[in-house]
Amino acid sequence: MASKENDDFDLGKPERLFNLTCTLLYATEGLTKNQILQTVRGYDNEYKEGGNNSTLERKFERDKSSLREIGIRIESEIPKHEDENNQVTTYRIKRESFSWPTSVKLTPRQLALLNLAAEAWAGGSLSTDASRGITKLRALGVVGQSSDIIGIAPKIHTFEPSFKDIDFAISESQVISFDYRNPKTGDIQTRTLQPWLMRQIAGAWLVLGFDEAKQEARNFMLRRIVSKVGLVTEGREVRTFEMPDQSIIDAAVKDLDDHAKSQIAVLKVTQGSEAWFRYELDLVPNKKDNKLQLNYHDLYVLAEQLREYADQIEVVEPKELATLVELGFRKVADLHA
Amino acid sequence: MPDEIKLDDTDRFNLMLALTGLLVDGEEYTVEELVDHFKVSKKEIVKAVKMISFTDLMKSNQDGSYEVNYDDLDDGFVSIKYTFNEAIDEVPRLSSRQASALAAGLVYLSSLPGLVENQEIQELQRILAIEDGPEKKKRVLIETGDRDNDLVAIREAMSSGVCITCDYLNLKGETTIGRLLEPLRVDSQGEVIYLRAWCPANKNVRSFRLDRMRNAKPTSDPITQEALDAELVDEIYTSAETDTVVTLEVDPEAYSLIFDFKPVEEPEAVSKSVKRFKIKVGDVRNLGRVIARFGGAARVIAPEIARQSVRDFALNALGERSSNTPKDAE
Repeated sequence: MASKENDDFDLGKPERLFNLTCTLLYATEGLTKNQILQTVRGYDNEYKEGGNNSTLERKFERDKSSLREIGIRIESEIPKHEDENNQVTTYRIKRESFSWPTSVKLTPRQLALLNLAAEAWAGGSLSTDASRGITKLRALGVVGQSSDIIGIAPKIHTFEPSFKDIDFAISESQVISFDYRNPKTGDIQTRTLQPWLMRQIAGAWLVLGFDEAKQEARNFMLRRIVSKVGLVTEGREVRTFEMPDQSIIDAAVKDLDDHAKSQIAVLKVTQGSEAWFRYELDLVPNKKDNKLQLNYHDLYVLAEQLREYADQIEVVEPKELATLVELGFRKVADLHA
Repeated sequence: MPDEIKLDDTDRFNLMLALTGLLVDGEEYTVEELVDHFKVSKKEIVKAVKMISFTDLMKSNQDGSYEVNYDDLDDGFVSIKYTFNEAIDEVPRLSSRQASALAAGLVYLSSLPGLVENQEIQELQRILAIEDGPEKKKRVLIETGDRDNDLVAIREAMSSGVCITCDYLNLKGETTIGRLLEPLRVDSQGEVIYLRAWCPANKNVRSFRLDRMRNAKPTSDPITQEALDAELVDEIYTSAETDTVVTLEVDPEAYSLIFDFKPVEEPEAVSKSVKRFKIKVGDVRNLGRVIARFGGAARVIAPEIARQSVRDFALNALGERSSNTPKDAE
């Protein structure tokens, strides 16, 4: 709250952040926390000379993380002869870390594509970040134009509630834990993961990371996470990890893909049926038999797809798949009896 | 036009930074131009410009201000001048989260068959990676799609403003050959791509799944005014008066249903991970395959007729006859 005797109006958070940013950009020598609280509008009217300013200090800490979230890095420095004395820590924003590099330009076509990329997230998990990003890029003054992408309305599907939390944990290299349902047994186990990246396969989102209990790289399907995603703490701090080399991540991605290549399902499809069409067998020249071979990442996801075409597809192998499809139908029938 | 986006404090601050970067000591823009450019309301633009002008750095010994001419602003014109030594006069960088969200959006675009050249995407990702810092790695991977000839034909037709003909397999399993459609928009929803088109035979806008379409070809007939005037709502499914309200319950494995159908009201949490919601369905007989595919992770709670249709679908798939079917049924 602004004190009554002060100023003409109550300064909101956006104005305070803006004043803070301008001040710290200008202060090339840096300012101490006290100097900031005394002089920057939005803090100054609540500052108590020689009094307790802990509420204000917490506000400053929150503002620092708001700025970081939006891409503005506040650098702090403790003068060499004053180690450990945080009263003299100085803060500033380096101009080169603040500004978009002037050498990098965007063409109207490129901005149009980025616009479309942001729109694809509309209402989705990363829509806030994407739209704030595009707002900044629009400041370059380029107008996004490209005739051949007009009439395209893309939408990324992320219906898994855990998506956003995992994405954030990846960006901050934070260790997470969650309850995960084993598709085979239905058992629920708490897993602890150093998340590396998320990928979408056959419409399903996976998180790849280092499973701390198993001590190896593992993939988890987001739709099988049955709890909130929590951050793992150590004392009062959130535990972080060091992201491995890209080559290690690439190898783990390839590993899963190779695994999929080795998993083959053989099906018989009724000729001329919807399934025939869906699997594009009508496009195969001189198709004589009704056999279809598919590679799959996940047996359970494939079983789901096949259940849609219940009477048009017969599973030849693996046997496990045929059983899964059938067990699923049995369960549905029982649950709706 | 998309719905007006509601801005929070961080969005407003972000907008202030962007406006400053664009406007400071530069050209004059009209408020309308800025509304159009930043896709936010007039009120937000005016508010942000005023907030910038309130910046006061006197106490930190920086003598100067951002000057906005209020008379011009009332007349709908915006320009900002500054008298600081070192003011914000540049376009701000993206945060790594912003860069990575845009990069992931681009990956998705490249997964759509034939929309963008991979080279273009790579060039943009390189630019975003500069923003993201040299150490940052890809956070999101999306499979890339194969080229789809039907989509190529549709986009060709759309850019020259003509109709298409195609063969289409409808949800009932019937194929129509040489169907005439007036293409309006291509909607990609996750993995599924729809053509939203005016159907002259039915005189309304319909959605066509591209994976059920074959032999799409542009014709020489221009898209009619009637089609262009048609209202194109964002939802693929539009409900009708005669729809049945169905209550569903889903485990996380079947949350996708909440997005495929637009629930009538906010889903309610039944337990830690189970959600319950109501949807409107045109024909409950179509529910069977939609629900049964999840093998138990999705359940119909009510009405009984909808439960029965799911049960029948499952029993039929198991090669068993529903107990409700009369023994003498043909």
